[in-house]
This record gives sequence, C-alpha cells and structure tokens, in this order.
Amino acid sequence: MSAPFRRQRDGRYAVKLDPGVRALLATMADQLSATVIPGEAMARRLFPPAYPAGGDAAAERAYRKLVDDALVNHHRRAFTILAETAQFDVLTEPELHAWLSAIGSLRLLLGTRLDVSEDTTPPDPEDPAAPEYSIYEVLSQLQYLLVEIVASELPEEGQPEGIL
Amino acid sequence: MTGTGGPAVASTRARQIEAEPAVDERTDIGESTRTDKPWLVIVWNDPVNLMSFVTYVLQKLFGYSKEKATKLMLDVHNKGRAVVSSGTRDRAELDVYRLHEHGLWATMEQST
Repeated sequence: MSAPFRRQRDGRYAVKLDPGVRALLATMADQLSATVIPGEAMARRLFPPAYPAGGDAAAERAYRKLVDDALVNHHRRAFTILAETAQFDVLTEPELHAWLSAIGSLRLLLGTRLDVSEDTTPPDPEDPAAPEYSIYEVLSQLQYLLVEIVASELPEEGQPEGIL
Repeated sequence: MTGTGGPAVASTRARQIEAEPAVDERTDIGESTRTDKPWLVIVWNDPVNLMSFVTYVLQKLFGYSKEKATKLMLDVHNKGRAVVSSGTRDRAELDVYRLHEHGLWATMEQST
C-alpha cells in the first residue's frame, strides 16, 4: 500500500486513506469542536495554565483573558478545515498543517477523557472505553505519519518561525 | 538557555515588544539587575503528545536543530520537564502561547 500522505511535486499533498478513516475524522472534528471551551474538563489540555499552580494567580487570569479566545478560534478553525477536507485526495500545505493541528487536539481531548497515562495499555474489547481507545490509536498513527512528513521538510537548523 | 539568537529574532523582538526595557544584555550581570532575571519557558511531560511531535514543534517554533530539539524532548520525557527558551516576560509569554497553540503543556517562571 502506498504512503497515506505524500508530498507532490506541486507542493501539495496526496492523501490515500480508507473511506472509514476519512468519515471518522470528519465526524470527530465536527462533534468535538463543540467541546473546545475554556474550563471544560475534557478540553483542559487545550488550555493549559501559563503560570504553574500556586503561582501568580493574577498573571494567570490576565494570560487567560489575553489568549483564550484566540486559542478557541485556532483549534476550532483547524477542526473546521479537517471536517471540510476529510474527503479530499489532495491537500494544500495549510490544510495539511490544519490536519496535524486538529488531529493533535482530538488526541488531547480523547486522551483526557480516556485518562491516558504513560502506562496505559489497550483496554479489553469488552471495556466500554475500547471503541474510543481504538479511535485514539488511529489518530496516533495519523499524527505519527503527518509529523514524519512535515518534519522531513524542516531545514536542518532553521530560523524560528515568523511570529504573528 | 536562550539559543534563539540571531538577526531574525532581534528584529522580531523589536517589532513585538516595543515596551521592552532597554537593558543591554552584555552588562546584565550583578546585584542591580536581579529583578531582570530571565523568564524560563518550560515544557512538561505529558502522556499524549508523541515524542516526534514534541521534537517537531521545538524545531519549528524555535529554529532548533533536530539534535537540539531531540535532546530537549528527551529531557522532557525522562526528567519530566525541560527549559526550552528564556527571555523577557513578554517574550516568554508569547512562546508559551505558541506552545499552547500546538497543544504542548508549557508554563513560565522567573529564573531564581
């Protein structure tokens, strides 16, 4: 089977995925976008504190006020692009990066709900969490493949990414 | 650890942080500058993000070589945390935000 993601000569990316995986991505992105809310338990990994617990509470409040809307927009925008392009056979570079971002966020949401730890082993098939854990594993595979392709395109020692 | 030096950063900083105090880093030593101690940006180990993804984000955001980014990622993985950048408070907050955008668990604290 050929690679699920492959960079083409025109700079875009060919995507070869099972229709079931594509449907899964669209559904997950569509459904979980609504959980991207600051303070929502499942979404806590998408809004980590900037100041360690027990630190400067006023600074943390100021940080939240400054960034939470932007973080919500950033994550939801990636979910929207993933849902809208899940069936595409060719992705532009920004779309591919949106996939990487959205799939990473989906893993953080599901990983939080599944309470994944370093020692987590796959649950028994009868476990109610088993289906969601398999989805988590599929997303892990996709994240791995996407990282492989975008990392291969980084310069060996580059400049920091342009800011804003 | 700063490691993000270079002309591109200097000009970015100049645009970004207009209110940054005019402290000459070459003379930034001694008692009188204690309150200007740098802020450290720390990435914490988390059980979800893939190791290759953490390495990729550190390369992408900070321009680190694959070797340096991998070493930092392994520090995060094995020691639980690593300082990935440092600088003024505003600069550190911006770096924390960029890491949060990428789903990494990052915090900031002033160097002691």
